[in-house]
Amino acid sequence: MLKDLDPILHSQLRLAVVSLLVSVKEAEFTYLKEKSNSTAGNLSVQIQKLKEAGYIEVEKKFKDNYPQTICKITPKGLAAFEEYVKNLKQYITKK
Amino acid sequence: METTTINKEEENLLPEESLLIINKMINSAKNKLADDGFHLIFWGWLVMLCALTQYITLKLNYDWGALVWMLLPLGGIFSAVYGYKQAKTQKVKTHIDTYLGYLWGGFLIAMFITLAFGYAHGIKSTYFFLMLLYGMATFISGGILNFKPLIFGSLFSFVFAILSVFLGDIDQFLCISAALLCSYIIPGHLLKSKFKSQQYA
Repeated sequence: MLKDLDPILHSQLRLAVVSLLVSVKEAEFTYLKEKSNSTAGNLSVQIQKLKEAGYIEVEKKFKDNYPQTICKITPKGLAAFEEYVKNLKQYITKK
Repeated sequence: METTTINKEEENLLPEESLLIINKMINSAKNKLADDGFHLIFWGWLVMLCALTQYITLKLNYDWGALVWMLLPLGGIFSAVYGYKQAKTQKVKTHIDTYLGYLWGGFLIAMFITLAFGYAHGIKSTYFFLMLLYGMATFISGGILNFKPLIFGSLFSFVFAILSVFLGDIDQFLCISAALLCSYIIPGHLLKSKFKSQQYA
């Protein structure tokens, strides 16, 4: 039987953010915005959802008097991503 | 955890689209070369300049040659400031950055110990170990960055380390200059040009 896909990850922008964070150690908000080609407002909302799910850690600090948001994937987020990819492959092979 | 089927998803993402997003994002994050070669070029030229100056002054019987090594602490400050500024402009920190940081941090500790205490075994063993350290650090860096010229260049440091055993004290400076040229300067410039070309790609 096919497993349901995780709704937190099954969203274009949230999936893009998690995929980027899987590949790096940590990334600034501006980097994620640039790579995912999203708007700041939408990205903020999706980052908050990922944070609430415990998939990413968000650290806010100041750099040269400007606020800086740094995101990092958590072990829970990494496990969810791996499970999502596994289930996705099942969907594709069963088609 | 709350789950839903793919067809009821808010954005109606198809599995193929999801895989495409994952693939695209992972590729865009990983395909950048993580090093601009600055430290290899800077330290390669600086230490080679010092070693060659000392070699020439010793050959000409001048006794001020050793003073040129006083440039190294100044180089350390300049290099640290450059690294600090570079880190401040970086929007992303990769695992490669972390590995390279630990590698060169360990290299610096080993190099200081060799320079501070190696003299107990004579100048020849000091330079022998320095060249081994140059070779090892650049060999591993080349592997981490997947940059073949650096891996190939690092082998010359090992060769010159062996060669130095058969040469006299003064010739050690020539040997270390050649090791720096092959393991630092040439691969450093090649790394810089590859880094620049990907910036404009």
